[in-house]
Amino acid sequence: MPKISKKQKISKLEKNQEYDDRFAYKSIKMSSGLGVVFYILSLLLNTEIITIIIYQNIFFKIIDIIVRVIVILLFFLFTIISLGNYKDLIGKPLDWKDILLLLGFSLIQTILNLLVFLFTFMGLFLILFYFYLVQER
Amino acid sequence: MNRRTYKKITWILIINLSISFILFSLNVSSLVEEIDVKFGESPIIDGQVDSYIKEWENANKIQVNLVDLPVKLWVLQNDENLYISLQFDLLLKYHSSNEFMALLISNSSSENPENFIDAKIIQFNNISNNEFEYLDYHIDNKGFSNDTFNNGRGAASLNEITSIYEFSIPIGPNNKINESEDVLLDYEANYAFNITYGEFASYPQGIKKSEIFLININSPPTKQKNLTNIALFIILITFFAILGILYGFYLYKIYRLKDIIDKSRH
Repeated sequence: MPKISKKQKISKLEKNQEYDDRFAYKSIKMSSGLGVVFYILSLLLNTEIITIIIYQNIFFKIIDIIVRVIVILLFFLFTIISLGNYKDLIGKPLDWKDILLLLGFSLIQTILNLLVFLFTFMGLFLILFYFYLVQER
Repeated sequence: MNRRTYKKITWILIINLSISFILFSLNVSSLVEEIDVKFGESPIIDGQVDSYIKEWENANKIQVNLVDLPVKLWVLQNDENLYISLQFDLLLKYHSSNEFMALLISNSSSENPENFIDAKIIQFNNISNNEFEYLDYHIDNKGFSNDTFNNGRGAASLNEITSIYEFSIPIGPNNKINESEDVLLDYEANYAFNITYGEFASYPQGIKKSEIFLININSPPTKQKNLTNIALFIILITFFAILGILYGFYLYKIYRLKDIIDKSRH
């Protein structure tokens, strides 16, 4: 069996590292782009600049609340993925301060509607719980 | 379990079921759709909905059925008036030349026929020429009678197959009305409205379809509430602006990150 020289090993490791970095950078770009999209959608919907409902009945109200909550949760999800990868690339772990700041940013978006606030709060809790479960220990 | 106890339990069950049934029936009999009125800019009562000036934009818009006729019901109020718009699509051949839309108003939330003492009617005289008149009637034992003074306004039009009826009815304690002829629609109260469609100018004989709804009239929003809403909106916009700036800075750092990675590699 041919032996792999130390140089070749280092070169392979470097290549793998480069590939990982490239992948992480691509993921940062994509998820931050999606974060921006959901930030704009949230700005339009949660400030009530535009409303998606035409008829005021309970069915449309529920749809309106669900859409607003989903937009905020997706904003949080993509931003936290992007920030996590970014911090990873610069060699610092994502700490509680960052997570709390993002949580705050997501919850402030709901201040005009109590129901949106409650459902977003629950959704954020579930996302964080999911991240807690899947993280490496 | 002895026979006596069994009998007792059976009786208790029968009584319970009867009470539940009575309560359920009472509930079913008052299953009338309740509509909350929203505040907004007063629309022009001309039988047209002008979307350019955002007429009726803030109205509570619901779809109702007058028996088999689907009708769009829009309800809006300001400090002085309650505005109701009724719109429906009907092929020309099914329109009657003298059709009318009327709002029979109860003096309370009661749906008993004797409580409906006021009638606001938009009566077409010739629908093909869009000729109509607004009538204000009161209803008593003798039937429908003309009011001495017309309270409120109304207008209608037929555009192709769409009929639009618009009513404006004064509300609030400052509204000077003849209480024997009109219902005083007060704030923070709900009133039964019988929305009625008819085919010829005779009341109540001309009535073809009708449906009762409860309309909740709200008090004018206090300035305090308005200020709170404005403050919250400003806070939210400021927050979004700050978040936007931070996000922009973050995107710039991502852009710079590529250079840092490339430099560290070389």
